[in-house]
Amino acid sequence: MKKIPIIMPQLGESIAEATVITFLIKEGDEVAADQDIIEVETNKATMNVSSPGRGIVRKLSAKLSESYPVGAVLGYVEVSVEEARRLGLDQPEVEHARIPANGGGDGKTGDTDRKRKVEPTVRGLPVPASAAGASYMSPRMKARMNELGLHAADLAGLAGSGAAGRVTIQDFEKFLANLEKNKLTDASTMRVAVADAMRRSWTRPLATVALPCPLEAMLAHRKVSEPKIGPALYALRALALALAENSATAGRLIGNKIVHPPSIDIGFAVEAEDGVLVPVLRNADTRPLSELAGRYNELVELARQRRLPNDATGGSIATVTNFGTFGLTWATPIPLPEQTLVLGLGAGKKVPHWDEKQKQFVPVTEANLTLSFDHRVLDGGAAGRLLARIATLLQKPEKL
Amino acid sequence: MLQTLESREKADIVSSFREQYLKAFRYMLLSRVLDEKMASLYRGGKIHGGVFLGRGQEALSVSVGLALRKGDIFSPLIRDGAGRLAFGEPVLDAVRTYLGSVIGPMRGRDGNIHRGRPREGLFAMISHLGAMISVVNGALLVRRFKKIEGVVGAACIGEGGTSTGSFHEALNQAAVERLPLVLVVANNQYAYSTPNSRQFACRDLADKAIGYGVNVHKVDGTDLEKCLHTLSDAVAQAREGGGPQMVVAQLLRLCGHGEHDDAHYITTQSKQSLFGRDCLKVAEDHLLRRAWADVAIIRKYREEIALEVEQAVALVQREPGPDPYKENWCALASRHLSERFETPDSADSP
Amino acid sequence: MSITYLEAIREAQAKALADDSRVFIYGQDIGAFGGAFKATKNLAVEFPGRVLDAPISEDAMVGAAIGAAIEGYRPIVEMQFADFSTPGFNQIINQAATLYWRTNVPCPITIRLPSGGTSGSGPFHSQSMEAIYAHYPGLIVMTPATVEDAYSMLLEAVAIDDPVIFCEHKYLYYHLKAAALPTEAMPVGKARIARPGRDLTIVAYSAMLHEALAAAEEIASDGTEIEVVDLRSIKPLDTDTVVASVARTGRLLCVGEAWPWGGVTAEVIARVATEGFDLLDAPPQRLNAKDTPIPYHPDLWSVHRPTARSIVTAARNLLRM
Repeated sequence: MKKIPIIMPQLGESIAEATVITFLIKEGDEVAADQDIIEVETNKATMNVSSPGRGIVRKLSAKLSESYPVGAVLGYVEVSVEEARRLGLDQPEVEHARIPANGGGDGKTGDTDRKRKVEPTVRGLPVPASAAGASYMSPRMKARMNELGLHAADLAGLAGSGAAGRVTIQDFEKFLANLEKNKLTDASTMRVAVADAMRRSWTRPLATVALPCPLEAMLAHRKVSEPKIGPALYALRALALALAENSATAGRLIGNKIVHPPSIDIGFAVEAEDGVLVPVLRNADTRPLSELAGRYNELVELARQRRLPNDATGGSIATVTNFGTFGLTWATPIPLPEQTLVLGLGAGKKVPHWDEKQKQFVPVTEANLTLSFDHRVLDGGAAGRLLARIATLLQKPEKL
Repeated sequence: MLQTLESREKADIVSSFREQYLKAFRYMLLSRVLDEKMASLYRGGKIHGGVFLGRGQEALSVSVGLALRKGDIFSPLIRDGAGRLAFGEPVLDAVRTYLGSVIGPMRGRDGNIHRGRPREGLFAMISHLGAMISVVNGALLVRRFKKIEGVVGAACIGEGGTSTGSFHEALNQAAVERLPLVLVVANNQYAYSTPNSRQFACRDLADKAIGYGVNVHKVDGTDLEKCLHTLSDAVAQAREGGGPQMVVAQLLRLCGHGEHDDAHYITTQSKQSLFGRDCLKVAEDHLLRRAWADVAIIRKYREEIALEVEQAVALVQREPGPDPYKENWCALASRHLSERFETPDSADSP
Repeated sequence: MSITYLEAIREAQAKALADDSRVFIYGQDIGAFGGAFKATKNLAVEFPGRVLDAPISEDAMVGAAIGAAIEGYRPIVEMQFADFSTPGFNQIINQAATLYWRTNVPCPITIRLPSGGTSGSGPFHSQSMEAIYAHYPGLIVMTPATVEDAYSMLLEAVAIDDPVIFCEHKYLYYHLKAAALPTEAMPVGKARIARPGRDLTIVAYSAMLHEALAAAEEIASDGTEIEVVDLRSIKPLDTDTVVASVARTGRLLCVGEAWPWGGVTAEVIARVATEGFDLLDAPPQRLNAKDTPIPYHPDLWSVHRPTARSIVTAARNLLRM
């Protein structure tokens, strides 16, 4: 026995559905081939749906006064194998690729689908007011720059001859051709990577504040420590404790949300060959100086040999850099693109301090603590308070 | 009784006319059964698009097909199922085109009555009424260029089609060129729902022929005998150089414009008038009255035809439709001049 | 010796008639009269019975051509003006263009459309209809701009097994002359670099080619080199040559005598934007006729469609972007 569907027939040009108004038979009835079994109505005429073959009506899924689209299955007629063969319907049904349609052959009314609301899909992307001006880059420019791995920063020195001074493709190609006339050496991968990081970081408004910090306590503590503790590590541990007290200052601003750091992981800059590596001490707020020292020295060595394991870099919320080792007293380092803060330590110098009690200048060893920060996240006041806290913590190195 | 030469000739004429009549009747019956099968397949949801029947027009149409011979040109229109069969179109062509079989003459690219075999003289109509007549004219011109004599081209049209500009231009063109065109106008009283009173204002459609300088033949479209004689006559005159011949037949469309149309606008008056008779019934009565066939023979015809049609449908139902991914999607015979517009992905993706 | 664009068309028809007995010409006033523009002058005498006068029935003319094509002949239909092809539009787009696809029987007809404006010709004797016909699948559309192309492309049109809409430009009929007929030709479907350049590409066709060349000459005086591409055929349209030119120059100006909406200029820019987006150093530009019917008065007509002057302005604007 084979079940053959009763299908809503073609009803006329531009007519998509009809309403069932009468059932001329019921389930279980015997019907002849082409016998009229269901009466349907369109806005043009009343028509009959006929049985696809001789057999027994099984399953009338259609309902009275409901509308069904052309092609919808209204029920089934069960026919004998011979009848199926006579009708040429004994071939297995071929699964045709389902083309998603708004009405369906599944008995749903066309109405529901048509009434379904269409969600607007504008993704809120900003639309340029006008694609023109000095910074306009044509599709060709963008494609060429992409091909060569260049960014707008690379073209800073290039004056454009196009409208409003924009760089045309001719200006660009001429510029490149002229470059060839100079001595060219390959930049190392490290160099290119750092260049990219700095370029990305610079897209934020960065500012720097500095605070002179007395070093005697730290220097004394260092003299008797075993193993030797680098000055940067003192600063790192002080920063870690200060951030543990208030982590918002190391948070990142994404849109209108401040993303708080998940853990106080702090990196420190190590010069290596052609660039800078930043190994990371994890959870620096939970481990005292004595515990961190061994790991710190280990990481410095690995960094110098360019053998840092993957899990020893990345994911830090701030960096400490001891530019004092170069003899520099102040600097404005640029935080990594994913960080808000970089704490700097300048060279220690003996400087005269006015001692009010002794009414004379006394020599004091101090160094500048600098904080370079993403000014979107914190202002000078907060930066200053953070530095002050670090300086205070550094006066009691035994508590670090 | 001794048959004189005269009476034998007459008997011969009658018996050959009897054969022709029987042959015509059988084609009419085949056309009617095929039509009904298509209608039932349509109601059963098996046919995509429209179904258009020739119910009520079989006598006229079959007469056109039978009057033509191999080598002639025939451009049938919507209701000329009988004429097509008489001209030699296989039953399978109709079934395949309606069911969208890729093996049919139109390969799924066009459907229902938009079918033909142009190289064999059977033109495939386009939907714009009147457009096919000048195409027949052009073909006849070429036969003339090639010095092929005795060719006739027949084009069928309804009274509605006579209102179109293309009908006018083509008939005029045929007359100016004095082509052997036989233009058969079937006035079935309704163009879709439009009655004659809204279609033309002249007293009689046949009067238009005078305006074109063309010979006209009027006939009762419900009477097979009259149709056979009239068409035979008109075709002969065209073939012998009498210029274009227009035939105007009166009959009634006995079905909807298409099977989606219930034709409620056809008046009872029309249905009950003389030209509202069913030509198939008229022909059957004629056969029986003249004793050219008996009830048994007619029943046998019906059975044979029913089987032939059923088998054709069963066969075609097993045939594949066109595969959109195997189509070359090129409308030009000059493949090298076609352009590719889709990206390679879109052509292959389901 | 010099030969005009119109004479080249006549010569091509004479050659087609002589070389192939299946060719005949059908149109109004083309027999003894030789045609409204004399494109068939004397041909009715040279080839008796093969240059036929038709009644004013463009629908029936095209229909008859299609019937002739089914029977294996290769008719040329002369429309007296492109503007008058519209009564035959149905036969062209619904019958000629679909015949092969529907029935597998090719339709080798050629329909000649005297196209484009001349001063004083007005709204119904000036139209450029190539875009409308190119829109329909199944048709080839040619727009020769030179005497040589008018000759060789018409011969190719007759030889092609598909319906060809041959848009010959009326202004070029008597104004354009060449020294001799060509002995070889670029195939249909290939565009020609009419003037090589470096700084900007102008894509043009038909009479506008000459306006574009004049504009390029003028701009060359300040050292800017404009490349001019002659499309030759609209369908098929040689996208590769156009894109390669834009690759060389980075700037595209497309010029057409027809109206802007959905015209050839729109099609060219759509293709370059799709296939050559990253080659553009400035937004692509186009210049078309004003979006009104074609005016009669010469003062109005002179600004209605692009001229060398307006092309120079548009090109200079584009260069400055």
